[in-house]
Amino acid sequence: MIVANYLVAGFVFCAGLYTVLTRRNLIKIVMGLSLMEGSTYLLFISMAYRDGSTAPVLVGPPGGRNAHDLVRGNVSDPVLQNFCLTAIVIGVAVTAVFLTIVVRIAQHYRTLDADKIRQLRG
Amino acid sequence: MITTTAAAGSLLPVAVALPLTGAVFAPLLARVSKRLPLIISALALVGSLAVLVLIAPHVYGTGGILAHYLGGWGPVHGAVLGIAFAADPFGLTFALACAGIGALLLVYALSELSGLGARELGAFACLFQLLLAALIGSALTADLFNLFVWFEVAALASYGLTGFFLERPIALEAAFKIAVLTTIAAFGVFIGAGLLYTRHGALNLAQLHESLAAHVGTADLVALGLLVAGFATKAGLIPFHGWLPDAHTAAPGPVSALFSGLMVNLGIVAIGRLAFQVYPTSHTPILGILMVVGIISALVGATLALAQDELKRLLAYDTVSQMGVLAIGLATGSAAGIAGSTYHLVNHALFKSLLFLCAGAITHRTGVTKLSEMGGLLRRWPWVAGAFIVGAASIAGVPPLGGFVSLSLIHHGLTDSHQYVPYALMLLAQLITIAALGRAAWLAFFRKRQEEYERSESLRPGMLTSLVILSVCCIAFGIVPGTVINHAMAPAASGLLHPQQYAHDVLAGVGSLPHVLVAFDYTDVMELVLLVVSVGLGALLTALYLRSKEPLPVRALRAVHTGSVNDYAAFLAAGTVAVIAALRWA
Repeated sequence: MIVANYLVAGFVFCAGLYTVLTRRNLIKIVMGLSLMEGSTYLLFISMAYRDGSTAPVLVGPPGGRNAHDLVRGNVSDPVLQNFCLTAIVIGVAVTAVFLTIVVRIAQHYRTLDADKIRQLRG
Repeated sequence: MITTTAAAGSLLPVAVALPLTGAVFAPLLARVSKRLPLIISALALVGSLAVLVLIAPHVYGTGGILAHYLGGWGPVHGAVLGIAFAADPFGLTFALACAGIGALLLVYALSELSGLGARELGAFACLFQLLLAALIGSALTADLFNLFVWFEVAALASYGLTGFFLERPIALEAAFKIAVLTTIAAFGVFIGAGLLYTRHGALNLAQLHESLAAHVGTADLVALGLLVAGFATKAGLIPFHGWLPDAHTAAPGPVSALFSGLMVNLGIVAIGRLAFQVYPTSHTPILGILMVVGIISALVGATLALAQDELKRLLAYDTVSQMGVLAIGLATGSAAGIAGSTYHLVNHALFKSLLFLCAGAITHRTGVTKLSEMGGLLRRWPWVAGAFIVGAASIAGVPPLGGFVSLSLIHHGLTDSHQYVPYALMLLAQLITIAALGRAAWLAFFRKRQEEYERSESLRPGMLTSLVILSVCCIAFGIVPGTVINHAMAPAASGLLHPQQYAHDVLAGVGSLPHVLVAFDYTDVMELVLLVVSVGLGALLTALYLRSKEPLPVRALRAVHTGSVNDYAAFLAAGTVAVIAALRWA
């Protein structure tokens, strides 16, 4: 199960990177970066699951059952999920900045082709 | 005034909180008065500097490490739950440079950019302080995820500052490139931090070190590769440097100075921490990789600087080269080399800020950005010329300027560890650097020019003040090397070379570092001879280069820098893969 998550995360990351490296349309480059970012969320959420783990805050299990029965080893690490939340917030901000830049580029250059916007070189 | 240790520790977050608060208020204050945001920003940074100076006696000299756990979430049985701020001599030196030079740059901006409207100045002051707060935060933090957050704060502020001046469309192009490359770098840092947390259940650098000292697995090496590649992008090391020259070309003087003098150092400081204080150096080939990357950066950066026609672009490529020198210093792994690298970090912050401010002043006053259109500036504006020559001489390593001390310390680090091939290559890079700056100085200042410039504004007092103070600092750091080395640079090297002591002290909240002896002698005949020879050869190279056509290696290197964001991202991806592969199989 969890292996599939890793594979999908890896595939999406590579697809995003491929887009960034090969597409010349600025919007597509931004989309590629968003894909890469999305794949890191999936990776982190998957890494957060730990086999045989128990929840940290459990004052006492209900009568007749022990703590292990309750969680069945399927508790995920909140710190990694927290990473994701932080990254999502940052990602939104970064995407907003990206799109602002792209809009201004479109206004100034009247094109979205990265190959036509390279006055700075050498 | 000497504060108690506990009080000094609790002051640590204030140094970051002041500019952060200033950043919030700057856009609001712009409604009251146009200049108020910049004045308040400068004051916030002076306040931050004052706080760091209060902390300094506890860290420098015989001091050591001072840690503060935010919200009182201290370590329990060696496990850290909260975020830690820890001032060690290495980080504190960078933080002090950021606060001090940042305040000076704001004074300069107050003069140069006073023509902007209230809203622009408010936003500019906000972004400027946000970036500086992130740099000070990254210097002081002892938490990996916190480091990532400061990295991102610095990144967002830098996108804004690069694309801020929209009258030049190239600013937009540069902003897109820096945004793409830094975002990819941020993925590297993010995944690296996550991998380390998954494996070790810790984010505190001290706790990570204790866990990694026992065993370094493959996943840890992959994490190190991703982190190093991410921070190397911020530092502008080759092949991760695509954004750097473009961002500097497009931005105005004070912003370029902030990027080149201070922001790129974030990458070097973080790499230094990771390589020495988090990972045990004996278990990874990281120092060898740093050495290779450093030498390539130093050589290629200097060569490309030699070829540039735009003054700021030339200085930006020189930054790539100087970052390479810093990496070489760290990679020696010896006390002299690391102390020299830390010293050079401060010197580079001073002289590169100075040079970019000179370039900004020239552009501001004449409207000319290209070297081929400049000339005769020595006679017209001796102040700017004097400041530029002080900066250039400091890079060249002419005594009694700071550059001489730090470069000879790095040389000692290389000879002490018997690495003669890197030593020779570094000397070659220095020679080319001297030639590049000599060419710039000749074309801009010494060459005769008959016709007057179209525009000619006077130098304003704020600009002059910053130029003079930075020049004086460049000289001051060369005049008193013994004191600086004993009190700040040798302890900084000690902090990096004794990671176990660092880890122990951070977890204990306070502690000292072992004494490390770093010797420096001004009358070292070898160094002086090398200097005379390299300046002579550099001048010769300048003369040759001015007469000849562009030689083939330079043309080939320039052809690789296509200006396409896809290509630069490909360099970054390839570099990351190469670093990881080298870590795993070297």
